[in-house]
Amino acid sequence: MDCPIKTQENTDWLLDYSAGRLNEERAVVLERHVEMCTQCEEFVRSQQGIWSALDDWQPAQVSADFNRRLYQRIDVAKPASWIRHIFRPLETAFWRPAVPVAAACLMIGAGLLLRTPQVTIPPAEPQARVEPEQVERAVDDMMMLHELNVTSQSGQKMSTPKSM
Amino acid sequence: MQQRVKEVMGASVALDCDAELMLRVKDGDGASFGLLLGKYRASVNHFLYRMVQDQAVSEELAQEVFLRVYRSRETYEPTAKFTTWLYRIATHLALNWLRDEKNERSQQRLDETSKDAPARELADRSPSVEQRLLRQVNVDEVRQAVAALPDKQRAAVLMHKYDEMEYSQIAKVLSCSESAVKSLLFRAYETLRVRLAHMA
Repeated sequence: MDCPIKTQENTDWLLDYSAGRLNEERAVVLERHVEMCTQCEEFVRSQQGIWSALDDWQPAQVSADFNRRLYQRIDVAKPASWIRHIFRPLETAFWRPAVPVAAACLMIGAGLLLRTPQVTIPPAEPQARVEPEQVERAVDDMMMLHELNVTSQSGQKMSTPKSM
Repeated sequence: MQQRVKEVMGASVALDCDAELMLRVKDGDGASFGLLLGKYRASVNHFLYRMVQDQAVSEELAQEVFLRVYRSRETYEPTAKFTTWLYRIATHLALNWLRDEKNERSQQRLDETSKDAPARELADRSPSVEQRLLRQVNVDEVRQAVAALPDKQRAAVLMHKYDEMEYSQIAKVLSCSESAVKSLLFRAYETLRVRLAHMA
């Protein structure tokens, strides 16, 4: 076998052999060469050292909430529902600039509706002041009327037989 | 469904059960997406963490990877291995992030002790404290050496070393030839051997 380092051919054999990944057939051939070639022997030795140094470099554990965060992002990215499909044409419509105005109108309307009406109680009209004399007079008038009524009724009773 | 996968991928390619799961996702099976997420969440996160070397950023990018997988379900076709497609998305996002963030600030962050690196237990007086400190220093050196690699070399090394990907698959992820990947890897490991010679 030609020296992989000198010929720059089959360098992958050296790498795989150092990593213990070279298939058995090739490994036997390369092993024979390495035993005779100090350059390749040195390569294999130092490459195994690098391999071992790289083994020590262990990354940190993946966060426990990795899946949860991912599924959250997937949910956000999911296609819209059929309802959204129906209203989708409206999403890009011309009316967008009118949204702030409509929102302002809505807020004013809601404010007016929700406003507690201030009940203004009109001041009570001052009651007419009744003087005792007026009461007395009224009572007298009523008694007089009553008497007149009684008198007229008795007069009618007395005159009735004559007319009959 | 298996027949459908075989038709698309051809008889020479073994049935990729992940691709089959992805086709189920395409048909609206959310549980299959959950299975793929459970299977690759850690490896994608770790790959991205080693690429960008920032825990918060790598998780954010990993979320984006799976979000894109989910969003692309309707147009998904199993023309390659599922992992090739998955890592292509992840590598693309990482390389973009690195390109955007390659400035003085990110360099300073590399020099500092990473926030998410395991805390150094200085209060611990046990006999192994020295060994642990030494190991931490070594890990920091490895991190910095990997970070110093060109972006594509770094991606290739990480996929080769930690995800045990074949050269052909790395080539598909990076959209280059298999020989280019071998060359990338050989140069990358050479750089690492020089830089970390004292550790070898």
